[in-house]
Amino acid sequence: MKIIKRLKILPPTLREKKRFIKFQVLSEERINYEDLEQAIWNTLLDFYGEEGVAKTGLWVIKNLWDEEKKICVVKCNHVSVQKVIAGLGLISRLGDTRVIIKILKVSGTLKGLEKD
Amino acid sequence: MQAFDMHVHSAFSGGVSSLEELASTAKILGYKGICFVAYPLSKKEEEILKAEIERVKKEFAIEIYLGFEARNVKELRILAKRRKEFDVLLARGGDLKLNRIACETPEVDILTHPEFGRNDSGLNHILARLAAENNVAIELNFREILTSSKASRAKFLSHMQRNVMLAKKFKAPIILCSGAINHFEMRDPYCLISLATQLGLELKEAKDAITKVPQKIIEEIKKRRDERWIMPGVEIIR
Repeated sequence: MKIIKRLKILPPTLREKKRFIKFQVLSEERINYEDLEQAIWNTLLDFYGEEGVAKTGLWVIKNLWDEEKKICVVKCNHVSVQKVIAGLGLISRLGDTRVIIKILKVSGTLKGLEKD
Repeated sequence: MQAFDMHVHSAFSGGVSSLEELASTAKILGYKGICFVAYPLSKKEEEILKAEIERVKKEFAIEIYLGFEARNVKELRILAKRRKEFDVLLARGGDLKLNRIACETPEVDILTHPEFGRNDSGLNHILARLAAENNVAIELNFREILTSSKASRAKFLSHMQRNVMLAKKFKAPIILCSGAINHFEMRDPYCLISLATQLGLELKEAKDAITKVPQKIIEEIKKRRDERWIMPGVEIIR
Protein backbone atom coordinates (compact mmCIF):
# COMPACT_ATOMS: atom_id res chain seq x y z
CA MET A 1 0.00 0.00 0.00
CA LYS A 2 1.24 3.47 -0.93
CA ILE A 3 1.92 5.77 2.06
CA ILE A 4 0.98 9.45 1.56
CA LYS A 5 3.85 11.58 2.88
CA ARG A 6 2.46 15.05 2.21
CA LEU A 7 -0.88 16.66 2.95
CA LYS A 8 -3.10 17.37 0.00
CA ILE A 9 -2.91 21.06 -0.95
CA LEU A 10 -5.86 23.16 0.22
CA PRO A 11 -8.22 24.45 -2.47
CA PRO A 12 -7.66 28.18 -3.27
CA THR A 13 -10.87 29.26 -1.50
CA LEU A 14 -9.68 27.74 1.78
CA ARG A 15 -6.15 29.12 1.57
CA GLU A 16 -5.16 32.15 3.60
CA LYS A 17 -5.01 35.34 1.48
CA LYS A 18 -1.43 36.53 1.61
CA ARG A 19 0.30 39.88 1.26
CA PHE A 20 3.99 40.61 0.71
CA ILE A 21 5.45 43.75 2.26
CA LYS A 22 8.67 45.03 0.68
CA PHE A 23 10.70 47.43 2.78
CA GLN A 24 14.11 49.04 2.90
CA VAL A 25 16.27 49.42 5.97
CA LEU A 26 17.89 52.87 6.16
CA SER A 27 21.07 52.86 8.22
CA GLU A 28 24.55 54.28 8.18
CA GLU A 29 26.25 50.91 8.66
CA ARG A 30 26.01 47.49 7.05
CA ILE A 31 23.44 45.14 8.54
CA ASN A 32 23.08 41.39 8.39
CA TYR A 33 19.99 39.32 7.80
CA GLU A 34 20.11 37.45 11.12
CA ASP A 35 19.97 40.71 13.12
CA LEU A 36 17.07 41.97 11.00
CA GLU A 37 15.04 38.77 11.32
CA GLN A 38 15.57 38.68 15.07
CA ALA A 39 14.59 42.34 15.42
CA ILE A 40 11.39 41.82 13.40
CA TRP A 41 10.30 38.84 15.48
CA ASN A 42 11.27 40.37 18.84
CA THR A 43 9.59 43.73 18.11
CA LEU A 44 6.36 42.18 16.93
CA LEU A 45 6.29 39.66 19.79
CA ASP A 46 6.86 42.45 22.31
CA PHE A 47 4.13 44.59 20.81
CA TYR A 48 1.39 42.07 19.97
CA GLY A 49 2.34 39.04 22.05
CA GLU A 50 2.57 35.44 20.87
CA GLU A 51 -1.15 35.12 20.18
CA GLY A 52 -1.21 38.40 18.23
CA VAL A 53 1.73 37.43 16.03
CA ALA A 54 0.24 33.98 15.43
CA LYS A 55 -2.80 35.64 13.85
CA THR A 56 -0.67 37.65 11.41
CA GLY A 57 0.86 34.56 9.76
CA LEU A 58 4.20 36.37 9.65
CA TRP A 59 7.05 35.00 7.55
CA VAL A 60 10.38 36.71 6.81
CA ILE A 61 11.53 35.61 3.36
CA LYS A 62 15.26 34.93 3.54
CA ASN A 63 16.02 34.43 -0.13
CA LEU A 64 14.58 37.83 -1.08
CA TRP A 65 16.97 39.72 1.23
CA ASP A 66 19.11 42.15 -0.77
CA GLU A 67 22.19 42.96 1.27
CA GLU A 68 23.43 45.67 -1.11
CA LYS A 69 20.22 47.71 -1.20
CA LYS A 70 19.12 46.55 2.29
CA ILE A 71 15.72 45.49 0.94
CA CYS A 72 13.69 42.75 2.63
CA VAL A 73 10.29 41.12 2.09
CA VAL A 74 7.93 39.78 4.75
CA LYS A 75 4.78 37.78 4.15
CA CYS A 76 1.60 38.00 6.23
CA ASN A 77 -2.12 37.48 5.77
CA HIS A 78 -4.29 40.15 4.14
CA VAL A 79 -6.03 41.26 7.35
CA SER A 80 -2.77 41.88 9.23
CA VAL A 81 -0.99 44.23 6.81
CA GLN A 82 -1.51 47.35 8.95
CA LYS A 83 -0.56 45.42 12.07
CA VAL A 84 2.73 44.23 10.57
CA ILE A 85 3.64 47.64 9.08
CA ALA A 86 2.99 49.29 12.48
CA GLY A 87 5.23 46.68 14.09
CA LEU A 88 7.99 47.22 11.51
CA GLY A 89 7.85 50.95 12.27
CA LEU A 90 8.73 50.20 15.88
CA ILE A 91 12.12 48.72 14.94
CA SER A 92 14.64 51.37 15.90
CA ARG A 93 17.85 49.36 16.37
CA LEU A 94 19.50 46.29 14.86
CA GLY A 95 22.11 45.40 17.45
CA ASP A 96 23.94 48.68 17.97
CA THR A 97 22.95 50.17 14.62
CA ARG A 98 20.14 52.73 14.53
CA VAL A 99 17.74 52.13 11.65
CA ILE A 100 14.62 53.48 9.95
CA ILE A 101 12.25 51.21 8.04
CA LYS A 102 10.91 52.57 4.76
CA ILE A 103 7.91 50.74 3.30
CA LEU A 104 8.34 50.33 -0.46
CA LYS A 105 5.37 48.26 -1.60
CA VAL A 106 2.58 45.93 -0.52
CA SER A 107 1.39 43.32 -2.98
CA GLY A 108 -0.55 40.08 -3.13
CA THR A 109 2.07 38.41 -5.36
CA LEU A 110 5.85 38.37 -5.52
CA LYS A 111 5.61 39.37 -9.17
CA GLY A 112 3.62 42.44 -8.16
CA LEU A 113 6.44 43.58 -5.88
CA GLU A 114 8.77 43.90 -8.86
CA LYS A 115 6.43 46.26 -10.75
CA ASP A 116 6.91 50.01 -10.28
CA MET B 1 0.42 60.78 -0.69
CA GLN B 2 1.25 64.30 0.51
CA ALA B 3 2.30 63.64 4.08
CA PHE B 4 3.57 66.20 6.56
CA ASP B 5 5.37 65.76 9.87
CA MET B 6 4.47 68.80 11.94
CA HIS B 7 6.50 68.06 15.07
CA VAL B 8 10.26 67.63 14.66
CA HIS B 9 12.85 69.04 17.08
CA SER B 10 16.20 70.10 15.67
CA ALA B 11 19.49 70.82 17.44
CA PHE B 12 18.26 74.41 17.82
CA SER B 13 15.72 73.41 20.44
CA GLY B 14 15.60 70.17 22.38
CA GLY B 15 16.82 67.99 19.51
CA VAL B 16 20.09 66.31 18.53
CA SER B 17 20.15 66.31 14.71
CA SER B 18 20.84 69.23 12.43
CA LEU B 19 18.24 70.77 10.12
CA GLU B 20 19.99 69.20 7.11
CA GLU B 21 19.88 65.66 8.57
CA LEU B 22 16.19 66.00 9.43
CA ALA B 23 15.25 67.52 6.07
CA SER B 24 17.15 64.89 4.07
CA THR B 25 15.60 62.04 6.09
CA ALA B 26 12.12 63.53 5.57
CA LYS B 27 12.77 63.74 1.84
CA ILE B 28 13.95 60.10 1.68
CA LEU B 29 10.89 58.94 3.63
CA GLY B 30 8.61 60.74 1.18
CA TYR B 31 7.31 63.64 3.25
CA LYS B 32 6.12 66.71 1.37
CA GLY B 33 6.93 68.99 4.27
CA ILE B 34 8.01 69.14 7.89
CA CYS B 35 7.75 71.62 10.71
CA PHE B 36 10.79 72.38 12.86
CA VAL B 37 9.54 72.98 16.36
CA ALA B 38 11.47 75.16 18.79
CA TYR B 39 10.89 76.41 22.29
CA PRO B 40 10.66 80.21 22.60
CA LEU B 41 14.04 81.70 21.61
CA SER B 42 15.67 85.11 21.84
CA LYS B 43 15.14 87.42 18.83
CA LYS B 44 18.68 86.87 17.58
CA GLU B 45 18.44 83.05 17.79
CA GLU B 46 15.05 83.20 16.09
CA GLU B 47 16.47 85.15 13.16
CA ILE B 48 19.35 82.67 12.80
CA LEU B 49 16.87 79.77 12.81
CA LYS B 50 14.66 81.45 10.19
CA ALA B 51 17.69 82.08 7.95
CA GLU B 52 18.82 78.43 8.36
CA ILE B 53 15.32 77.19 7.49
CA GLU B 54 15.29 79.28 4.30
CA ARG B 55 18.69 77.86 3.33
CA VAL B 56 17.68 74.22 4.00
CA LYS B 57 14.36 74.72 2.21
CA LYS B 58 16.20 75.71 -0.98
CA GLU B 59 18.85 72.99 -0.62
CA PHE B 60 16.46 70.04 -0.20
CA ALA B 61 13.40 71.35 -2.11
CA ILE B 62 11.00 70.42 0.66
CA GLU B 63 8.38 72.54 2.44
CA ILE B 64 9.67 73.58 5.87
CA TYR B 65 7.69 75.45 8.49
CA LEU B 66 8.70 77.02 11.78
CA GLY B 67 6.70 76.19 14.86
CA PHE B 68 6.97 77.22 18.48
CA GLU B 69 5.98 74.96 21.34
CA ALA B 70 4.71 76.60 24.52
CA ARG B 71 5.78 74.76 27.68
CA ASN B 72 3.59 76.71 30.10
CA VAL B 73 0.65 79.09 30.16
CA LYS B 74 2.86 82.19 30.24
CA GLU B 75 4.75 81.14 27.10
CA LEU B 76 1.48 80.24 25.39
CA ARG B 77 0.01 83.70 26.02
CA ILE B 78 3.16 85.45 24.76
CA LEU B 79 3.31 83.27 21.63
CA ALA B 80 -0.44 83.71 20.94
CA LYS B 81 0.07 87.51 20.91
CA ARG B 82 2.81 87.33 18.28
CA ARG B 83 1.04 84.66 16.27
CA LYS B 84 1.69 86.27 12.88
CA GLU B 85 5.49 86.04 13.20
CA PHE B 86 5.76 82.24 12.85
CA ASP B 87 3.92 79.36 11.19
CA VAL B 88 2.66 76.83 13.72
CA LEU B 89 1.80 77.20 17.41
CA LEU B 90 1.99 74.03 19.47
CA ALA B 91 1.19 73.62 23.14
CA ARG B 92 3.13 71.01 25.10
CA GLY B 93 0.44 68.89 26.72
CA GLY B 94 0.64 66.99 29.97
CA ASP B 95 -0.28 69.76 32.39
CA LEU B 96 -4.07 69.87 32.83
CA LYS B 97 -4.18 73.66 33.02
CA LEU B 98 -2.17 74.03 29.83
CA ASN B 99 -4.24 71.32 28.10
CA ARG B 100 -7.39 73.28 28.92
CA ILE B 101 -6.05 76.70 27.87
CA ALA B 102 -4.61 75.23 24.65
CA CYS B 103 -8.01 73.73 23.77
CA GLU B 104 -9.69 77.09 24.50
CA THR B 105 -7.25 79.13 22.38
CA PRO B 106 -8.05 79.32 18.66
CA GLU B 107 -4.49 80.52 17.90
CA VAL B 108 -3.14 77.10 18.92
CA ASP B 109 -2.78 74.64 16.03
CA ILE B 110 -1.66 71.48 17.83
CA LEU B 111 -1.92 70.18 21.37
CA THR B 112 1.07 67.84 21.61
CA HIS B 113 0.92 64.59 23.61
CA PRO B 114 -1.85 65.58 26.11
CA GLU B 115 -1.20 62.33 28.03
CA PHE B 116 2.52 63.02 28.57
CA GLY B 117 3.72 62.24 32.10
CA ARG B 118 0.21 61.62 33.38
CA ASN B 119 -1.69 58.70 34.85
CA ASP B 120 -4.73 59.62 32.77
CA SER B 121 -5.23 60.54 29.13
CA GLY B 122 -5.13 64.31 29.80
CA LEU B 123 -8.34 64.88 27.85
CA ASN B 124 -11.99 64.56 28.76
CA HIS B 125 -15.26 65.19 26.94
CA ILE B 126 -15.15 68.92 27.76
CA LEU B 127 -11.62 69.44 26.46
CA ALA B 128 -12.34 67.35 23.36
CA ARG B 129 -15.41 69.50 22.62
CA LEU B 130 -13.38 72.70 23.13
CA ALA B 131 -10.62 71.40 20.84
CA ALA B 132 -13.21 70.68 18.14
CA GLU B 133 -14.76 74.18 18.51
CA ASN B 134 -11.40 75.95 18.31
CA ASN B 135 -9.95 73.61 15.69
CA VAL B 136 -7.03 72.51 17.87
CA ALA B 137 -5.56 69.25 16.58
CA ILE B 138 -4.87 66.52 19.14
CA GLU B 139 -1.48 64.98 18.49
CA LEU B 140 -0.66 61.27 18.49
CA ASN B 141 3.06 61.35 19.21
CA PHE B 142 4.95 58.37 17.79
CA ARG B 143 8.11 59.05 19.81
CA GLU B 144 6.32 58.26 23.06
CA ILE B 145 5.57 54.77 21.78
CA LEU B 146 8.98 54.30 20.16
CA THR B 147 11.03 55.22 23.21
CA SER B 148 8.93 53.43 25.83
CA SER B 149 8.57 49.70 26.43
CA LYS B 150 6.49 47.10 28.29
CA ALA B 151 4.23 48.64 30.98
CA SER B 152 4.90 52.31 30.17
CA ARG B 153 4.24 51.69 26.46
CA ALA B 154 1.00 49.87 27.34
CA LYS B 155 -0.10 52.89 29.41
CA PHE B 156 0.72 55.35 26.63
CA LEU B 157 -1.18 53.23 24.11
CA SER B 158 -4.20 52.98 26.38
CA HIS B 159 -4.26 56.76 26.98
CA MET B 160 -3.86 57.44 23.26
CA GLN B 161 -6.72 55.06 22.46
CA ARG B 162 -8.93 56.98 24.88
CA ASN B 163 -7.93 60.31 23.30
CA VAL B 164 -8.69 58.93 19.84
CA MET B 165 -12.11 57.78 21.03
CA LEU B 166 -12.89 61.23 22.51
CA ALA B 167 -11.57 63.13 19.48
CA LYS B 168 -13.61 60.95 17.12
CA LYS B 169 -16.77 61.38 19.17
CA PHE B 170 -16.50 65.17 19.36
CA LYS B 171 -15.02 65.53 15.86
CA ALA B 172 -11.81 67.16 17.07
CA PRO B 173 -9.00 66.95 14.49
CA ILE B 174 -6.31 64.31 15.13
CA ILE B 175 -2.78 64.77 13.82
CA LEU B 176 -0.03 62.16 13.53
CA CYS B 177 3.51 63.34 14.27
CA SER B 178 6.81 61.60 14.84
CA GLY B 179 7.89 64.05 17.59
CA ALA B 180 11.45 63.13 16.60
CA ILE B 181 14.41 64.71 18.34
CA ASN B 182 16.91 63.02 16.05
CA HIS B 183 16.60 61.94 12.44
CA PHE B 184 16.61 58.22 13.34
CA GLU B 185 13.36 58.75 15.23
CA MET B 186 11.56 59.92 12.08
CA ARG B 187 9.29 57.28 10.63
CA ASP B 188 7.81 56.36 7.28
CA PRO B 189 4.33 57.95 6.91
CA TYR B 190 2.85 54.50 6.20
CA CYS B 191 4.21 53.22 9.55
CA LEU B 192 2.55 56.15 11.34
CA ILE B 193 -0.74 55.50 9.53
CA SER B 194 -0.63 51.79 10.40
CA LEU B 195 0.10 52.54 14.03
CA ALA B 196 -2.83 54.97 14.15
CA THR B 197 -5.11 52.22 12.86
CA GLN B 198 -3.99 50.14 15.86
CA LEU B 199 -5.05 53.01 18.14
CA GLY B 200 -8.65 52.98 16.93
CA LEU B 201 -8.65 55.14 13.79
CA GLU B 202 -10.07 53.88 10.50
CA LEU B 203 -7.54 53.70 7.64
CA LYS B 204 -9.03 56.77 5.93
CA GLU B 205 -9.08 58.76 9.17
CA ALA B 206 -5.45 57.80 9.82
CA LYS B 207 -4.44 58.95 6.31
CA ASP B 208 -6.28 62.23 6.84
CA ALA B 209 -4.44 62.70 10.14
CA ILE B 210 -1.12 62.86 8.31
CA THR B 211 -2.25 64.56 5.09
CA LYS B 212 -5.45 66.62 5.28
CA VAL B 213 -5.18 67.88 8.88
CA PRO B 214 -1.63 69.29 8.35
CA GLN B 215 -2.75 70.70 4.98
CA LYS B 216 -5.54 72.62 6.76
CA ILE B 217 -2.97 74.02 9.19
CA ILE B 218 -0.80 75.05 6.21
CA GLU B 219 -3.79 76.78 4.59
CA GLU B 220 -4.23 78.73 7.83
CA ILE B 221 -0.52 79.64 7.71
CA LYS B 222 -0.98 81.06 4.21
CA LYS B 223 -4.04 83.05 5.32
CA ARG B 224 -2.13 84.37 8.32
CA ARG B 225 0.71 85.63 6.12
CA ASP B 226 -1.80 87.85 4.33
CA GLU B 227 -1.71 91.45 5.55
CA ARG B 228 -5.49 91.48 5.91
CA TRP B 229 -5.43 88.76 8.63
CA ILE B 230 -5.85 90.13 12.16
CA MET B 231 -6.76 87.14 14.37
CA PRO B 232 -8.61 83.81 13.96
CA GLY B 233 -12.01 84.64 12.54
CA VAL B 234 -11.17 88.33 11.96
CA GLU B 235 -9.76 89.69 8.71
CA ILE B 236 -10.15 92.87 6.63
CA ILE B 237 -12.38 92.19 3.64
CA ARG B 238 -12.30 95.67 2.03
